[in-house]
Amino acid sequence: MNKRIVVVLSILAVVVGTPPVSPAGPKNDGRPDGGTLGYGEYGRPSTLDPITSNEMVSLRITELVFNGLVGIDEKQEIVPELAERWEASKDSRTYTFFLRKDVMWHPREGEEAKPFTADDVVFTYKIMMHPKTTTPLKVRYEFIESVEKLGDYGVQFTLKRPILNALAKFSFKVIPKHGPSHPLYLTREDPFVRHPIGTGPFVVKTITTDREIVLVANENYFKGRPHINRFISKPFADQNIMTQALMFNAIDMVVLVNPRDIPELQGDKRFVLQPYNALSYAFFGYNVRSPLLADKRVRQAFAYAVNRQEVLDSFFNGQGTLVSGPFAPGSWAYNLDVRPLPFDPQKAVALLRQAGFAPGPDGTLQKDGKKLTLSLKVPIEKESEAVKRVVLAFQNYLKNIGVAIKVEFKEWQAWKESVFQEHDFDIVFASWVFDDSADISSLFHSAEIGAWKNNFGGYSNPEVDGLIVESKLTLDHEKRRTINRKLHTILAEEAPYTFLWTLTNYSGYHKKLRRVAIHPYKFFSFADEWFIPAADQK
Amino acid sequence: MTRYSQIAGEGRDASDLPVWRSADTLDLAYIGYGLLIVALVLVSYVLGVFNWLPHDPEQIRFDLLNAPPGSAGHLLGTDFLGRDILSRLIVAIQAYFLPGLVAIVISLMVGTTLGALAGYRGGEVEVLVTYVNNLVDSFPRLVLILLVIAAFKADIYYIMIIVGVTGVPVVASLVAGKIAFLRQKHFIEAALVLGLPSHVIVLKHILWYHCGPLLVIRATIGMGEAILIETSLSYLGFGVQEPMPSWGNMVQAGANYFFQGKFWPSTAPALAILLTILGFHLLGDGLNSILEDRGGK
Repeated sequence: MNKRIVVVLSILAVVVGTPPVSPAGPKNDGRPDGGTLGYGEYGRPSTLDPITSNEMVSLRITELVFNGLVGIDEKQEIVPELAERWEASKDSRTYTFFLRKDVMWHPREGEEAKPFTADDVVFTYKIMMHPKTTTPLKVRYEFIESVEKLGDYGVQFTLKRPILNALAKFSFKVIPKHGPSHPLYLTREDPFVRHPIGTGPFVVKTITTDREIVLVANENYFKGRPHINRFISKPFADQNIMTQALMFNAIDMVVLVNPRDIPELQGDKRFVLQPYNALSYAFFGYNVRSPLLADKRVRQAFAYAVNRQEVLDSFFNGQGTLVSGPFAPGSWAYNLDVRPLPFDPQKAVALLRQAGFAPGPDGTLQKDGKKLTLSLKVPIEKESEAVKRVVLAFQNYLKNIGVAIKVEFKEWQAWKESVFQEHDFDIVFASWVFDDSADISSLFHSAEIGAWKNNFGGYSNPEVDGLIVESKLTLDHEKRRTINRKLHTILAEEAPYTFLWTLTNYSGYHKKLRRVAIHPYKFFSFADEWFIPAADQK
Repeated sequence: MTRYSQIAGEGRDASDLPVWRSADTLDLAYIGYGLLIVALVLVSYVLGVFNWLPHDPEQIRFDLLNAPPGSAGHLLGTDFLGRDILSRLIVAIQAYFLPGLVAIVISLMVGTTLGALAGYRGGEVEVLVTYVNNLVDSFPRLVLILLVIAAFKADIYYIMIIVGVTGVPVVASLVAGKIAFLRQKHFIEAALVLGLPSHVIVLKHILWYHCGPLLVIRATIGMGEAILIETSLSYLGFGVQEPMPSWGNMVQAGANYFFQGKFWPSTAPALAILLTILGFHLLGDGLNSILEDRGGK
């Protein structure tokens, strides 16, 4: 399940702050510098820059190498990063950022380090929005009308319309003007995407022949040199080995421990198991274009037929929570008053009867001579045995109420094509990862139906469309909350998905690592503060 | 009584002993073991067809995930969904039996035809057949299978058709070589002199009298190969697809739990693969030394 479809948007809280400007150099916080951290990753990222990449693996690396104008701290509050302070106009349509003057880009080999200026910010925005640039970010920034440079260390953004939490959106990572080889757009062919330079705490040093990515501490990091000398990202093709590698000290950290390895690490005093919330949930998504699934009673019946708590307990050691609706659990938009549907196969059968289905000669339900047989498409992944368990259990539960599910395992690319492009499926099993828990417009708005759009099930409901737009436009947080709670209730009832669960993510690491704080989504945001006591540095 | 054909050098050696009396003990042991495996496979196939199984092979038990052998009446334990491993091992034969036969039939039929043409006709036909053989042979089998899966879908019959087709060159060259050797024998000349039509000579005197053992040996080895190919594909996730069990996908699914000390879900099917393929190969080997190499010993 680590190949998730990522809905990238952003997070809450508007705080304007003026930070103390600390000089580059050591942090002088009394904690030791030195040591190496090797961490296991799920495969190897195809790109390492923040613009073209769309995988969790790359996202974690870019968090070490780059900075945004603003950052989001452990308490989910906006903090200054490349911008030391900012101002918003009264009508909330212009945002002016005043940049730090002590930030240097990582030097390329044999070159002097170049200073970070307003030109880089303007350049990043322009390259991000260029039609030829390969990036999932464009839709996130369409609310910006223009950007203007105010001297070398000032940038002003003008918005098309005021939006709620605009400031959080300026956490996009800034890339250097002298970085990409093409001055106007960035594609995956540009050498920059494989050997990027940023302003962040770590510098991409080499990619070894074993596909390990070696990052070294940036001595001139503007928040002070990070404590740990080197980060090494080690790709694992087979996740079974990753926990073993940790236990045998081949690596020091696993970013996402396989649920079934949790008891093993829990019992071992050498390691720390740290939970973090990933704002994600798993679901069965239905193609409502199918005449069999167009009736919401059928979709509701499926939700009643599956004992989700049993699946969660048996396959994931109960490390998670059932969800009832479309918002990321744990976010302010999630409506706790809507309870997850209970396991009730009798009710499921009754609902299917109401929808006009009756048992046929072979026990499979049918209506007007048409059997209730549906295809469930699942991407084949070598490490996806948890996925396999869930879909086979689902198939089994539905068999018990007389529904035949044909599970089809497909290669990842072929799966994406049949789901997102051809819409040739009845049911899919997938999960969404959010970084803005409140924005579900790309999932359920009818304007998002079409090839390669996120509303792949073709769900369309004018009431939902209206509420989504209203929620996007409102500037009143309380009102937005009320709208989202209503959306949650409606979508839970309409069941375009069977909402399953959110899993508690665990990172496992050697206890020599200290002061480890983990960002729920970007993971390494606070890694410059991590350290290894001198005695453990080897 | 000695038939005319034997005078001409056709047929078996004029020994009074039955074949098995002249064979050595090791070959007999090979064949005995091989036949035992074949019998087990056949019995399992029948059990599977009539659903005479200790448990329902698709019954998921949430309370018995990866239960060790012997627990709650599961002789070989249960797998990652709490399904009975023994029943699944037996049913998995279904995945190989007919598809494996398809592969064997294709490679034997096509291979024999091409081989006979090349060996008997010679000349340009031989060049053409050799060319086709080289073409098929030079294509990596697994790559070809993965291409077909990408183009169509992961279906065991598609896979086995490819296995059959790619098995053609081996059979064709074996048959062609055998015929090229037989062609110089007197009984062929005698048959020609008697005015027998070519198809009778090829089908009866060459293939039936002389190539039968060769083809039986190829068939047993081919069955082993079919199982092995499915196993490697399953490990990549492209073999027989769940919930239908195959030994390959059982090993693959079980391997995820191997390091946790739960070895039985992958070990049981792995042993089944080992013993079965060994059986087919030893059977082929034993038959080969008894039926084919007797003269050379």
